[in-house]
Amino acid sequence: MVCPVGYRHSVERYRRLYAVLIRLYPKPYRDRFGEGMQQTFRDLCRERMASGKTLLALLVWVFIDTSVGIAKERIAHMREQSFSKRMAVWGIVVACVLVIPLVAMQFTSEVVWGLADFVVAGILLFGAGLVYELVSSRGNSLAYRMAVGIAVAAALLLIWMDLALATEGDNSGGLIYVGVVVLGIGAVIARLRPRGMARALFATAVAQVVVAVVAMVAWGQYVEFIILNGLFIALWVGSALLFRRASVTASQ
Amino acid sequence: MKRKEPGKPLTPAVLHILLALSTRERHGYAIMKQVKADSDGKVKMGPGTLYGSIGRMIQAGLICEGDKKRDPEMDDERRIYYKITGYGREALRAELERYREVVTVAKEKQLLPDGLSRGV
Repeated sequence: MVCPVGYRHSVERYRRLYAVLIRLYPKPYRDRFGEGMQQTFRDLCRERMASGKTLLALLVWVFIDTSVGIAKERIAHMREQSFSKRMAVWGIVVACVLVIPLVAMQFTSEVVWGLADFVVAGILLFGAGLVYELVSSRGNSLAYRMAVGIAVAAALLLIWMDLALATEGDNSGGLIYVGVVVLGIGAVIARLRPRGMARALFATAVAQVVVAVVAMVAWGQYVEFIILNGLFIALWVGSALLFRRASVTASQ
Repeated sequence: MKRKEPGKPLTPAVLHILLALSTRERHGYAIMKQVKADSDGKVKMGPGTLYGSIGRMIQAGLICEGDKKRDPEMDDERRIYYKITGYGREALRAELERYREVVTVAKEKQLLPDGLSRGV
């Protein structure tokens, strides 16, 4: 593949940019495959230029493909780390999330968080991370970990919303805890085994349907309750299906 | 990573990489080109997918790293070559056998298009 000098310079420029992207891979992976990936990237650019096509489509494709690869390897790398290291990462993630309202408060009067709000939010987020790490370590498959992630995220969202409503003096959200309670009891009975967890999550979804119906009869806000509870029902069912998939994989 | 049983199904990416390496050792870009040629351009892997698969295949014992050397058809840079292992050949053979069985069943049920069933 012979390319004009100008082309070679731009390929080298893109290769340097690609090298920056590759730095986002975990170090052991980068040390092992980084050079080969850069060589392959440069070969692809040269091939593209030799065929007289522009580089833009190739660059977009390769950068998306590599970004997906980085996310996968980062998750895999995190799984290999010790529990304390993973919790340290969760600590950093929670701190980054809490910076968002802190920064927003400097620019708008609509976000008003006190010290207690930051503490409660920090405990909730870090607690969710802790529960995720403890429970997901019981399963080996990606489906199990994803199921745990969705269930924990949905429970966190439920509690967060209820606390937000209570802060505004609206106690109508108390009923939504029913879903979390059913999930907790189900998880204990299932002893975190995938088949039992699938049943617990389906039961949680049913409890959410009952809660929605009761709330609609009591308060009569149909559209709002259907949308809100529909979201949570979808999350519980999604998690249940993933647990069921994990149980099928485990039995094979 | 624990080894898969040779009889377990392979992902399309893994199957194509094993096919590409079945005739000779190749470096990353050469694997990519061979996969594209073998699949008639239908399977395209970016460097992220390719090297992710290579990493997992090395861990699973399907392929291994060979020498770092220059490709006479390319440039002056030395590249790492990858080669299929005995276990990788076994897994590839098992996968191709599975495909053959599927085609046989499809032929028995007369599900194959005319052109294909003549070739089987």
